[in-house]
Amino acid sequence: MDESIEHGVDSRYHSKEEQESESVKLMQARLDRMKNLSKGQVRSAKLVQLKLKMENYLKNPVYDSHNYFTDFLRIYIDSIYSKHSEFAVDMNITPVFLSQLINNHREPKDEFIMKLMIHSEKAFANVCDFQEENWYQVYFQEKICDTMSNREKWKPKLEKQIKLGKLLEI
Amino acid sequence: MNIVEISTGNLYDIEILPVDGNDYKFLTKGRYFFNWKLEKEQEVYKLLIQGSNEILGVVSLERIPNEWRIHIRLITVSGENRGKKKRYDKIIGNLIAYVSKLAVEEFGELACVSLKPKTQIAQHYIEKYNMNTTGITLSLEVPEILDLINQYDN
Repeated sequence: MDESIEHGVDSRYHSKEEQESESVKLMQARLDRMKNLSKGQVRSAKLVQLKLKMENYLKNPVYDSHNYFTDFLRIYIDSIYSKHSEFAVDMNITPVFLSQLINNHREPKDEFIMKLMIHSEKAFANVCDFQEENWYQVYFQEKICDTMSNREKWKPKLEKQIKLGKLLEI
Repeated sequence: MNIVEISTGNLYDIEILPVDGNDYKFLTKGRYFFNWKLEKEQEVYKLLIQGSNEILGVVSLERIPNEWRIHIRLITVSGENRGKKKRYDKIIGNLIAYVSKLAVEEFGELACVSLKPKTQIAQHYIEKYNMNTTGITLSLEVPEILDLINQYDN
């Protein structure tokens, strides 16, 4: 095939009718093809989706109090396991600890994130190139965003305790 | 993601960014094949070598959430990257891979990227990007869409 033809495509639909007609045909063909997807292929797609969502969050941090780390953790577990308790067994943690973590009733310890990095390294092998340290980066990014979005709450109280006496003398 | 300089084989890291209002001055029909000003209301992205301002490729797209699909409206390379004397390779592939990433991020295992090339170049897209054919529409879905992302996302 002559690659010189690959310079551009005008792919716009000429009319609403053409778009609708093509959409119906395409959707039917896609639904037929989807029936043949294996569980492994679906799992791979979900893991790639999670990776892309995490990368997007790291590139475009959102300054609010939402718990993105636990959101991503929940998606990760649901992509691989049918029950959260199975993940807890594989991570050598108790289901209670996991439940508290996912429901934001406790913070993840370093050891948990390190285990998660090891787990991810294995889960993403043969799926895509996943940087396991993204878990740590998401966790700290969320802390930064949470702290900065709440600065009006903590700053007035703490500001009273801070002095620059020596510096101001100079 | 990177492109290849054909004369040297050197790889250059690229970035794909949203086109902003000022870019349309440079996106002329002579160099970029289509009247891109008509796409101003659409989602449009440009491909650049990191650290450079020179636009090497452009794509516009339409998100169709109720079909878990992103349709590529227009896609092109810059004039000097057309034909047998083109300077860089992989520009179109990177743009399609980028749109594929947007689709998978939004729609997961249901993701689909579609385009509708003319008959004479459809076969090229089918062979090069492993696209499915339905009527006049070509599409990428799981698992082929993941293979393309992995191929270009390095």
